[in-house]
Amino acid sequence: MTSNEQAANPVALVTGASRGLGSVLARFLSGEGFDLILNARGRESLDASAKELTRGTGRVQTIPGDVSQPATQFALKETVDRWGRLDLLFNNASELGPSPLPRLSDFRAEEMERIFRVNVLAPLTLTQRLLPALIAQRGQVVNISSDAAVGGYPGWGGYGASKAALDLVSLTLAHELKDLGVSVVSVDPGDMRTTMHQSAYPGEDISDRPSPEVTLPFWAWLLNQDPARTSGHRFRAQADRWEVPE
Amino acid sequence: MMTASSAFPVAVGPGADRPPEERGVERDGVRLLVSSPNEEREHVFPDLVDLLRPGDLLVVNESATLPASLPARAEIGDFRVNLSTPYGPGLWVGEPRWGPSRPGPLPLDAHARIEVGGVPCTLVAGFPGIPRLVFLRADGNLQEAMQRLGQPIRYGYAAREFPLEAYQTAFARVPGSAEMPSASRPFTSRLVDRLRSAGVEFAPIVLHAGVSSLEFGDFPPGTVPVFPEPFEVPTTAVEAIERARSRGGRVIAVGTTVVRALESATDTCGLRPARGFTRVYLSPQRPIRSIDGLLTGFHEAQSTHLALLAGFVGVPRLQRAYEFAARAGFLWHEFGDSHLLLSDRTA
Repeated sequence: MTSNEQAANPVALVTGASRGLGSVLARFLSGEGFDLILNARGRESLDASAKELTRGTGRVQTIPGDVSQPATQFALKETVDRWGRLDLLFNNASELGPSPLPRLSDFRAEEMERIFRVNVLAPLTLTQRLLPALIAQRGQVVNISSDAAVGGYPGWGGYGASKAALDLVSLTLAHELKDLGVSVVSVDPGDMRTTMHQSAYPGEDISDRPSPEVTLPFWAWLLNQDPARTSGHRFRAQADRWEVPE
Repeated sequence: MMTASSAFPVAVGPGADRPPEERGVERDGVRLLVSSPNEEREHVFPDLVDLLRPGDLLVVNESATLPASLPARAEIGDFRVNLSTPYGPGLWVGEPRWGPSRPGPLPLDAHARIEVGGVPCTLVAGFPGIPRLVFLRADGNLQEAMQRLGQPIRYGYAAREFPLEAYQTAFARVPGSAEMPSASRPFTSRLVDRLRSAGVEFAPIVLHAGVSSLEFGDFPPGTVPVFPEPFEVPTTAVEAIERARSRGGRVIAVGTTVVRALESATDTCGLRPARGFTRVYLSPQRPIRSIDGLLTGFHEAQSTHLALLAGFVGVPRLQRAYEFAARAGFLWHEFGDSHLLLSDRTA
């Protein structure tokens, strides 16, 4: 670790940052003055997404790779250690499962395993690996959930079950990490016009869904709340109101 | 963040271009239209002392108006930024404008550097769905800049600049509104004392109102922009409302901001203390259950305020009242006359 690499700016790590909600988050955090560590599976689309940001003042490091793979997680941890700081971890990368969405009664076990590896295990193990840095900075973990976690919508059983599990991981971690000063929230971003949403409805017109930018006011609000108050709560980014829990 | 509104035609009267004090009328001397289910009656504002009953509760907004309009400078030249809503000490939603009658959007670059009231700011992002508004990150203290250089936000219809005092209400206590919660403007301490002596109670909430310029902006017909605003309904207000109801008193909101705060604090279990941001849009499709009466001003056609009023008394009653007010020469806008709407069950 060289001292000139130590970050003066706050540092955020965003997984699934090449498109959709992840790239919107990265743009917003860059504007807010964060240095960024960005991850996604596709190197080209990740670099394209990062290129839009480098016109800003902060540093940007891209780490391509499947976030459920230990090698990717170690590479992310290596950058965090080198920069010596982590304030925000956005576990945003998600696996939808087969398209079109199979009914739960027809779901193949290996597909379900893949969904749970990416949507539940990866956020948890990444948080574990980055915990020392998060503790040092009294950092915040944001896990991206879904209304499918509570909906019981036909076809959304695999993805929804994984997000329900992630919600419980978030809540439990929030309680367990409270005394260490690390906060954990779960956010349902709501329906958005994204590649993932299109895969869930192949061939259908999803243009009535708002673009992921619609969630910006929520992120602006959440990131300016006292994390000790919001920790352990689940928010809906497109709700009519966002309340500060008592 | 556009929400479809049920556009319905209403009459429009003349606008007040200056405060009543500048028209030879006392602050609490404005006219008051009282709309009951079956009739409209003309009064003056101090008649509230007789119109309200002992045990009635007036819920008021304690938000104070900021001198939120600041001179700004960027590569594109000199302009103004009207600060709308603080999200945190260094993050605001603001509206860059060329001037009171010349709205944006301005041709600013994605991450433009803007000097706002002498404070270096960065444009973080446009506001989704509302091109006139932007997120601004401030590397400095905008509150302080406002105290030094800020002016109250005004639009083309105002005759000239008026001091911040003209935009404060008798209940102003918590600074945070970009624009005056104007329904309570006619209240003076003298009138508040008379109402208290007559057995009328007061309870405070806070909702910091953002810029209203969008209300008369060039948005597609049938749509209105709604954006989140900070609010707090404290335990004291919830308890005061419960006491008023249990003694048979009426709960009367002073201003549409109060209605939005109360409805935002109401869930399936009823009213409870709440604090956060709300963008709840009240309309005939989302009727209002938390109040028995609403004291307000006269609002622009197609505005979110008007949709809220229609959500309270229904479109036909609102059309009848506005027809009456326009014919009788009541004055529109924040310096204009007042309107008390009473619900069917308690009038």
